[in-house]
Amino acid sequence: MSNAYSIIVCAGLAPDPLQRLEPMDTPTGPALKNEMMLPAVLDPWAACALYEADNLAKKLPGSKVYLVSMALKTKLQQVMMVLSQKVPFELVAIDGPSNGFTDARECASELAQAIEAIPGLDKDKMLLFGGWESATRAAGATMQILGEKLGVVDQFQGVDKIEIEPSGAIKLWERVEGGKQQVSLCESAPVMVGWATGELPEPPNNPQVGMANMRTVMPALQKAKSAAASSSALKFKGVTLPAQVRETRIEKDMPVEAIAQELVTWIRGN
Amino acid sequence: MAQVERQKLEADIVCVGMGPATGGFLTTLTKEISEHQGESYLDSKVMPGMPLQVLCYERADDMGFGVSGVVSRARGIKQSFPDIDWSQIQMAAPVKGEKLAYLLDPIGASCRSGLFKFSDTLIRSLKAVLPYKDEALEMPFIPPFMEKHGGAVFSIGQFNQWVGMNLMSSGQVQIWPGMPVEKPLVENKKVKGVRLVNQGVEKSGAETEMFMPGMDIEAALTVVGDGPVGAVGQYLDEEFGMPQGHHKHEWAVGMKFVVQLRDDVDLEPGTVFHTFGYPEPEVFGFMYIYPGKVASLGIFIPSWFDNPVRTAYRYLQHWMMHPYIWKHVKGGTLKSWGAKSLQESGITGEPHLCGDGYARIGEGSGSTNVLTGSGVDEAWTTGTQLAEGVIELLKAGKPFTKENLEATYVAKRRASWVQEEGKVAEKSRNGFSYGVIPGLIGMSLAGFSKGLLNIPAKLVAPHKRYKSLEQYFAGKLSVQKIAEIREICKKANKTIHDEIMNACGWPEIPYDGTLLVTQQDALLIGGKVQAQGGFADHVEFIDTDICKGCGMQVCVEICSAQAIAPGEEGVPVFDREKCVHCGACLWNCSQELPQGHGVTNVKFGAGCGGLHSVEN
Amino acid sequence: MDQGELSMDKILLIAHTEANGSLSKASLEALTCAKDLAASLSTTFAVGVFGENTAKALEQIGSCGAEKYLSVSGADFKDARYATDSYAVEGIYRKAQASIVIAAGTSRMNRVIPGVAHRVEGVAELHVSSIAGSATELTATRWLYRQRIEAVITRASRPWFLGVDSGNYTAWTGSTSAVTAESVATEAPAACKRSKVVGLESPGSGEQTIKPDAELLMVAGAGWTKKQADGTVHAQEARKTILGFLSKSGASLGGSKAMVDLDSENREAFNFMTHLNQIGQTGTSPRHQKGLSTCCHGEEPHAVGWRFINERRAVNLDANCGWARGKADVLYVADAFAVMAKVNELLSK
Repeated sequence: MSNAYSIIVCAGLAPDPLQRLEPMDTPTGPALKNEMMLPAVLDPWAACALYEADNLAKKLPGSKVYLVSMALKTKLQQVMMVLSQKVPFELVAIDGPSNGFTDARECASELAQAIEAIPGLDKDKMLLFGGWESATRAAGATMQILGEKLGVVDQFQGVDKIEIEPSGAIKLWERVEGGKQQVSLCESAPVMVGWATGELPEPPNNPQVGMANMRTVMPALQKAKSAAASSSALKFKGVTLPAQVRETRIEKDMPVEAIAQELVTWIRGN
Repeated sequence: MAQVERQKLEADIVCVGMGPATGGFLTTLTKEISEHQGESYLDSKVMPGMPLQVLCYERADDMGFGVSGVVSRARGIKQSFPDIDWSQIQMAAPVKGEKLAYLLDPIGASCRSGLFKFSDTLIRSLKAVLPYKDEALEMPFIPPFMEKHGGAVFSIGQFNQWVGMNLMSSGQVQIWPGMPVEKPLVENKKVKGVRLVNQGVEKSGAETEMFMPGMDIEAALTVVGDGPVGAVGQYLDEEFGMPQGHHKHEWAVGMKFVVQLRDDVDLEPGTVFHTFGYPEPEVFGFMYIYPGKVASLGIFIPSWFDNPVRTAYRYLQHWMMHPYIWKHVKGGTLKSWGAKSLQESGITGEPHLCGDGYARIGEGSGSTNVLTGSGVDEAWTTGTQLAEGVIELLKAGKPFTKENLEATYVAKRRASWVQEEGKVAEKSRNGFSYGVIPGLIGMSLAGFSKGLLNIPAKLVAPHKRYKSLEQYFAGKLSVQKIAEIREICKKANKTIHDEIMNACGWPEIPYDGTLLVTQQDALLIGGKVQAQGGFADHVEFIDTDICKGCGMQVCVEICSAQAIAPGEEGVPVFDREKCVHCGACLWNCSQELPQGHGVTNVKFGAGCGGLHSVEN
Repeated sequence: MDQGELSMDKILLIAHTEANGSLSKASLEALTCAKDLAASLSTTFAVGVFGENTAKALEQIGSCGAEKYLSVSGADFKDARYATDSYAVEGIYRKAQASIVIAAGTSRMNRVIPGVAHRVEGVAELHVSSIAGSATELTATRWLYRQRIEAVITRASRPWFLGVDSGNYTAWTGSTSAVTAESVATEAPAACKRSKVVGLESPGSGEQTIKPDAELLMVAGAGWTKKQADGTVHAQEARKTILGFLSKSGASLGGSKAMVDLDSENREAFNFMTHLNQIGQTGTSPRHQKGLSTCCHGEEPHAVGWRFINERRAVNLDANCGWARGKADVLYVADAFAVMAKVNELLSK
């Protein structure tokens, strides 16, 4: 039995870490202030999914990695300049919103349409990858809905590790409560895998990979389909930054012993 | 560990650094490629049947990360984009008004000379009749050579992104950020391409299981636009030397904040402020107003400011809190922060502009005009000139030899306004080697006489100028006081500049966590500084024994990001995760190596990471 | 389906049993949420439980006042498996025909809620921190952008499935009472059993450092791995101090991203710290009564990872650290190596 898969990684974009985020109201709903100026990265969990997909594809000859991403085209182009150097993939681009105010259901719907349109896709050999949450919407819902839309009923969330056995059975390690991992064995593809951080470091930038990817990335961006206008019944009543500021007592010159004593008293709840 | 083979890639043209100069080069080249698609002179030599293969490697993690705001006449830029609409670029506006102000010292802590003190007294006594307000004297006019009317204020970061995105969309070139270039590949005095840095290594450079040796990119032409402290430019300077009489002795470190101003601040976008006189007479300041009530503001610390503890960060905060600036900025929010070295030798710092297989453009090629205070437009223009030269050579089917590049690119540059105005500026700042007032007089002489008059001076490298703390602060701080401060800081293993400034009477900064933040918070809140793993440290102290005997440690004091800290036995400690790649350590090392040639004990190489902000 | 009249809302709580057959604290919190909401909407609520054997769990909440109890009980539903769990939840929903479905945000429920909501043409929200109902509107509060932006949302669409994060409601308590539950299903179709749960593992060095029920969270920042005042790294000393503190205080351990992404130079000494310990950014935002941050400078621990920590203290060498100021209750400006060693000594007494 051939163990060659179509590994489809769904990934949005997120603001580069450490950026200051500020919501604002627009006629079409909430948005991030200066969104176009905020440097963006591939959503961190989805990026882990991509690196894991690449790692898997290398082990399973004949496998191919697709990156399906919905974001504003200009932002997507920018992120691709860095990302394309990391691992080989074929981009399927959707020109649409990538901020956290988009409904997971609508995002899943766009992704499903784009995936269904991949020529020659054999869903029985599909590994559907994504992040278990996004760093923007933080809903943790898109991948499950997408899985359902594509008829994938073996779904796993918070995955840190995957192994494909010679029989085609798929072993997965999912994060569960208490810092533990539940280990499952699924008979065969298709499966949906919502990745936590995985176990792989970020790959180095490889100029040859970049050159190869760019041959498909720019055409994919050029023919990116625009996402349908939002028809969501999701309404934001309020979007705010947490304003709570604590009165911080700063102890500058307290001796170590006194700090330790105070901490122990506090820890013990006395 | 298994030996990993070094890979090789062939291209027609490889560019190093995606700044304004390379932007100008690639914009001109891609326009030609787009307009003449399919013509044989634009065919690739390395990939037959394909169009010209043009690659550009940028060390920063994205295009436009970590550069600064600018006011520019933008003549060259407008030539490339005759219909440029500044409103289509974020953080840009046409120049609406320019002000030049002399800032008095409202605190009394600066090391002003008697002449400055006298001027301050005189100005204050005549304030009823002078345009004096908020401890500042606004000059009635701006010298015409400094004026930027008709130009624009803009963020180089945003501009670079705009240019880069257009270039990538054209599909004619590939720009790869996050990919530092280690050095040029030089064979028999010919440049054959570049070598990228190793990846998958420890900070020490030791290989890990992820090791990937830096790839060799071979190309018929290497375009070097990696700025004033770029690794490739440095390598070429060492390899080929500088032309007779040329040197890079004058530098500055520019540090800036980007601030969201209060809603009630009514400064018009495009308003420009230039200041001098405070926090120290040697420190020049600027503030540009962008649309959306955003200001880019900062200072320059020049290499002829002889204070050996010349840390820019605290000076920047004191400058920002000067009443003349503070009235606009107070109550604002820090959006971004950054720092950069500027090569201020101008045309005197011009290296060999080309050689077999390579050409140099932009700031590292000595294009900055030190009289008009303009560099971006000049850099851009040198890039366009090289592209025009390259197109000529491609059409003629001639190779990129030194001779051919000189006959095209260099000839165009020599015949242009960049050269003409660079010559006017050539000696305009020499007076600063004697002090601020001779410097200002020299600039005026050169500016008004179009370079015919200047103050002659023999310029020396920064490391030959340093005075000791005791010498510099003579009359301000006693030798005993300085010794005490040294002892306190040594015990606490911290830099000395804060204690020195406190002793001079500078007040503590009232941190508010929003606009006035610590230097470490500026890294995270303002600069969003990050460093990826897998790369070696790009700052090295070549001979640690020299560090042990140094005693001055200007590298530690100048470090814009506190990335270089005092270490054991006087050997500084470098923390890559804080470095913003300003390169100030390179020209602020006081220890020249025994071989001479101005090479000092700090090796500043190519590394990725640094600022993650394009708001500048 | 759209429902204009809010007063028509019917509420359903769905919960799964734990390994011992009971309901978790998180599920009991969700029960409080459902009960409160029913009260504020002047409506009733139903409860559906699934698992290998639901009898104990149903008895546990038998006095909660639910209008109706539904059950999916059988060996097929023992393990947390998407296909069987979604089959159970879908079955319970279809039987109850509620418009608002509430569940605890456990890993097991979060995995199935959105998919089931899609199957029944409904909508779903996870990581909800509160639900408020009035005569005219139902709103849910949840965080976007990794706990940086708080949003209050509403939907006209029904059914609306809501996964409520633990720690936001008081767990329901009440006497046990026998109930008669309507059985919805006792086994799942074969197509739902392509996957099998084969075990539960604790990754890392074997040290159990993540303790969700601990009162205290210790956050270790990258400062533990940096060169100290003497210019050298004290990795082994840091290891001993951190692990010593965890064992003596019973605290759970969180780490900044830098700490869990250590390069190989430091990885061995800190091998008890895995990606599962990470808080903030791509990590978690755990809920604990107290949090002690040590050697942290940066956003993750203080801004995002600390969002749900009630009492916060920090030990840091930078008095002006903008990340601790305004975010912590007390900032001790001191060397964490010395302070924590002393704390360990005192805790041993």
